[in-house]
Amino acid sequence: MKTGDLIDLLAQDAGPAPPGYAWRRLSLALAAGGAAALLAVVFWLRCQPLLAAVEQPWFWMKAIYTGLLAVAGALLVRRLATPGASLRAAPVAILAVIVLMAVLGAAQVLQAAPAERLAVVLGNTWRVCSRLILTLSVPIYAALVLAVRALAPVNLTRAGAAAGFAAGALAATVYGLHCPEQGAAFVVVWYSLGIAAATALGALTGRWLLRW
Amino acid sequence: MTAACIHQPTALWPNGSAWRTVLPVTRQTVQSQARNEAEIQLRACMAAGLDGDAAAHRQLLAALTGHLRAYFARRLGSGSAEVEDLVQETLLAVHLKRATWDRSQPFTPWAYAIARYKMIDHLRRGRGKVHIPLDDAGALFSSDDPEEGAVRTDLERLLGQLPERQRALLEDVKIQGFSIEEAARKRGVSAVSARVMLHRSLQFLSRAVRHEDR
Repeated sequence: MKTGDLIDLLAQDAGPAPPGYAWRRLSLALAAGGAAALLAVVFWLRCQPLLAAVEQPWFWMKAIYTGLLAVAGALLVRRLATPGASLRAAPVAILAVIVLMAVLGAAQVLQAAPAERLAVVLGNTWRVCSRLILTLSVPIYAALVLAVRALAPVNLTRAGAAAGFAAGALAATVYGLHCPEQGAAFVVVWYSLGIAAATALGALTGRWLLRW
Repeated sequence: MTAACIHQPTALWPNGSAWRTVLPVTRQTVQSQARNEAEIQLRACMAAGLDGDAAAHRQLLAALTGHLRAYFARRLGSGSAEVEDLVQETLLAVHLKRATWDRSQPFTPWAYAIARYKMIDHLRRGRGKVHIPLDDAGALFSSDDPEEGAVRTDLERLLGQLPERQRALLEDVKIQGFSIEEAARKRGVSAVSARVMLHRSLQFLSRAVRHEDR
């Protein structure tokens, strides 16, 4: 086919394209993936009643930490899913949030008696926390992959890592409904580890899954 | 007919070469000026095209074609059959992904990133071997129009894989030169579903090109 003929064809397909397409796709994916993770918490982890933890202040400590990371992660995905966009402040914001939480966690550890410090970090559920967050992030990551592919990522490893990070942070927020831990030190170690694992999963699989 | 978004390129030196004697114009200034010129024009076309102006969209793609051909030829060697393949693949990508361009962002970095991605993807698929056809001396001394090279992956052939109804519609538009509305009437489908069929066919083409020669 001559290139001119192709252009004629493409021009025939030039219907109006409403702005905001990328955000619509991504928020739909986050909503669908988040709902799937929520269902998993209810029926697989048997977290009932679902919203019991919401009355506790430590739920909000965790939710604010992971929620901020999820928002920054979503911004990062939005940037990396379209060509030629710069990253702006999202990576710095993510780093700042993690550092702040690490400071809170360190303060908590230092306040504890030396003999109890390890117990403060390990909590009661350190064996399962990161693993469950990673598992819950999978449906969110899958939904994000479909959305990002429909956009136009040009650096697939970075876009995959960002999608994994956002999925991990949202999964951790949902997991907070189930998690009985109350300390910042526990959260900054094991929640962050789960989110990091989801980020690595995204970075490793992105270059295959996100090709378009 | 020229769409409103492309006007004649304004001369870099309004008064012939008079400016040259006045201003020390470096090569870089000329290049960045040319780039700004391209940005302003292409961006206007893109924005109008996104609002549904088909003539502006055609202008955009036609103007991009020249840039793309030169860009790929510089990197893959002009005359390589890959060049025109990549031009067509990138035009399809720019068209199908146009909704991802954010109007508050500059246009040329967006288009460049897509062209670069398509070239890397192309090379990664192992189709980037330098391909030199065995020709007679005519190839070297031909007075052919050097602008458009031959294609290796013929989209025409890929069109043959489309379902019959979609293919017929596409032929009407492409070969007979019907508008999509005329073709829809001829084939007895609504204009809306004809548009959907055309869009799906183009998405199919874009996918099929990528899976060629895997």
